[in-house]
Amino acid sequence: MSALLEARGVGKTYGPFRALADVSLSIAAGERLSIVGPNGAGKTTLVNLLTGLLAPSEGEVYFKKENIRGRGPVELAERGLARAFQLVHIFPKLTVAETIAAAVITRQKKRWRLFSNLAADQNIATRVAEVARIFGLETRLDTVSQLLSQGEKKLLDVASAFALNPEVILLDEPTSGISTAEKHGIMQTLLAAAERAGVKALILVEHDMDLVAAYSTRIVAIAEGRLLADLPPQLFFENADVIEIVVGKRRHG
Amino acid sequence: MKRPPQILAAILGASALAIFPLLAPSYYVGLMIPFFAYAIALLGFNLLFGYGGLLSFGHAMFIGFGAYGAAVMAGVFGVKSFELVLAAVVVGSAIAAIPIGFLCVRYTGIFFGMLTLAFGMLFHSFLFKFYYVTGGDSGMRIPRMNILNLEFAQYNKITFLTGPFYYYCLALLLIAAFAMWRIVRSPFGLHLRALRENPRKAEYLGVHVRRFRLTAFVISAAYGAAGGTILGFRIGLADPELVYWTQSGQLVFMTVLGGSQHFLGPVIGALAFTFLQDQLQSLTQYWRFVLGAILAVLVIGFPAGIAGWADLARHRPKARGAAA
Amino acid sequence: MAAFANILLGGVFHAAVLFLVAAGLQLIFGVQKILNLACGSFYALGAYFGITFVSLALQFGVPAWALLPLLILAGLSLGLIGPPIERMLRTVYDRDESFQLLLTFALLLMFQDVFRFLWGANPLSIEANYLVYGKVTSGDFTVPVYNLLVIAAAIMIAAGLGAFLQKTNYGRVLRATAENRAMAEALGVDVSRVYAAVFTAGTVLGTVAGALVVPTAAASLDMAVDLVVEAFAVVVIGGLGSMPGALAGALIVGLIHAFAIVVYPELELLATYLIVIGVLLLRPAGLFGKQAT
Repeated sequence: MSALLEARGVGKTYGPFRALADVSLSIAAGERLSIVGPNGAGKTTLVNLLTGLLAPSEGEVYFKKENIRGRGPVELAERGLARAFQLVHIFPKLTVAETIAAAVITRQKKRWRLFSNLAADQNIATRVAEVARIFGLETRLDTVSQLLSQGEKKLLDVASAFALNPEVILLDEPTSGISTAEKHGIMQTLLAAAERAGVKALILVEHDMDLVAAYSTRIVAIAEGRLLADLPPQLFFENADVIEIVVGKRRHG
Repeated sequence: MKRPPQILAAILGASALAIFPLLAPSYYVGLMIPFFAYAIALLGFNLLFGYGGLLSFGHAMFIGFGAYGAAVMAGVFGVKSFELVLAAVVVGSAIAAIPIGFLCVRYTGIFFGMLTLAFGMLFHSFLFKFYYVTGGDSGMRIPRMNILNLEFAQYNKITFLTGPFYYYCLALLLIAAFAMWRIVRSPFGLHLRALRENPRKAEYLGVHVRRFRLTAFVISAAYGAAGGTILGFRIGLADPELVYWTQSGQLVFMTVLGGSQHFLGPVIGALAFTFLQDQLQSLTQYWRFVLGAILAVLVIGFPAGIAGWADLARHRPKARGAAA
Repeated sequence: MAAFANILLGGVFHAAVLFLVAAGLQLIFGVQKILNLACGSFYALGAYFGITFVSLALQFGVPAWALLPLLILAGLSLGLIGPPIERMLRTVYDRDESFQLLLTFALLLMFQDVFRFLWGANPLSIEANYLVYGKVTSGDFTVPVYNLLVIAAAIMIAAGLGAFLQKTNYGRVLRATAENRAMAEALGVDVSRVYAAVFTAGTVLGTVAGALVVPTAAASLDMAVDLVVEAFAVVVIGGLGSMPGALAGALIVGLIHAFAIVVYPELELLATYLIVIGVLLLRPAGLFGKQAT
């Protein structure tokens, strides 16, 4: 299977400080990759490199075989690489429908339409309703974003990323701030949504090892700026040394 | 932002404006020409401010482009057709706005405001210093032009302004408003608002932050110039004081007065300000103080402006969402 | 050489006055994050009031050499308007910065008519002669001692402000509040009192600057509005919120002003704006400011 998103020997240095060194990994269609590791280990740096927010000091990142160096989030969004953040990002004064529509407009390449009536565009409206339904937001379409509950805001944030119909989506701690009871529910909604939205590969940055164990096809551990492990869940959780570094305590069994 | 109620208000407003000259004394009708000019200029300004979230303190520069452009075309080159002058000035201003906007939209907030103020003042000092071209302090004359290729020679200046030219400007305002309405309700308009709300997230949803801001900037420049042409024609003179930074401040005042979060807010603001200023000037020589006080009260107590206030009166509070 | 020195001193004098106003702006912006467009009004107020104050004093028989202290006193006493105005600004602290800007703009408009009402529409000059302090002459080169005194005063204030902000406890409190208001509050700082104090200090710097300038220039209605642009050029070049920036920016603008008049008059203001635009584009943080977008 050919790699959709690939990092080849990437590293990032800030002056004397080496945030990340010599990391190589690739994600192919059908994979659900989790990136784990202690805070400050370089996870965020890796994620930023993979999504084009940062340029690597060494190595290259390829998305669909093309080098993404110099390409910003806007271009990557157009090409099919989307990202949702840990901290909820919404458009406070736009409604749910408008938020999703913003993504749909990009997807349907209608950005430069200065004179067409958005409200009358059926293609956009249908797609918006679809995405809203997948995430359970169809009753809140006309609600202004800042009035949503925290959970709803989170869903909207992710929903708008999905509305781009990305091939690869990166979810940054999607269940952070959500109660343990709801975490699995949310994850399942997200994964189902990803499938219906046609997402080919999913990257998760997560701290909750239960979720990681349950939903990943592969786990990548980053510690002290280096790639510690790149294994399927079974092998990953058998490796006590890796677990200790990542989680901070030895796991038995 | 709003749907049918705006259209209803617009129809009522347009009708009222249409019959106004028939009912009101010609002095007040004469006041309306600057209103039309500012209304058009502010529709453009608000695309940038209300919808785009960028506060420009240099918009008066584009009004100046309009006035001086008209002076050059009609005064220096003797072009008689108002339409031609208008078209040329609008296009010219838009083109000039590209490099200026390109530099300015790299920033937001205070830095954007400062850059636009600096450019505006740059233009102002340019007009002042190169007086052998621009007439300096005395400005440049703008002769009377033909509208729709008709001379209206039988009308003197007053009857022309309160008659044919009034309706001409009303038509221009309606056209400009219609175009802006389409822009604001388009996919581009939504992206612009998304930009205003959260530029970072907007980027991740594929919105070209700078390109869109630049587009809004250029459109606002075009509208500003159109307003400037009308204003210049009315006054008969292109004057450097039109471009001084406090004039830009006044434009912001008018917009906030009417309500920046409503489509018709700027138009209402221009109307209210025109009459307010006129009435105050006849009441007291310290009208600037009163205007300043009104602005202060507005900012502190009624940031949503007249349009926002009308919303509350209609018992339909815009879900705290779109209020200023 | 003498001509050069004359221009230089003229520029430095202008810079000294600009520095005082800019310092006030930087203080207010640095701590409260408000760009005070009414700084020009405080400057003009200081000028007008300075004239009145000195005239009254002279009528009461105060000797002519008390000019400088009288002007400084006039400026300082205007600090009384600081707290009430700050109270008014307080209502928009947590709003969008556009509204803060607009409120200070409203103040600017209101002050214009206050000046018109109290002092009329025509420019006013001070009766006292600043040459009471004599001149320093060296060949062709002449400079009034008054100008040197003002420059000296500005330098002392600059040093004093710097020491105050860096070395004293209250200065530290100010810097902390500027850095992170929420944290400062959490650490027990009475932020509203700090804001009131800072605003008053900023006001006083402006009024004193205006007062000091009147012996050499007339007070006029245009003063307020024209100064805003110059002051803003100074803080942009120096860097928003930075005191050393105010000093550097003031020197640059003051000297450009002085040299441009002589070398290429047409370019005087143009040069300043071009530099402002240049700085905003190439290094928006200015010479000493922090990065911002």
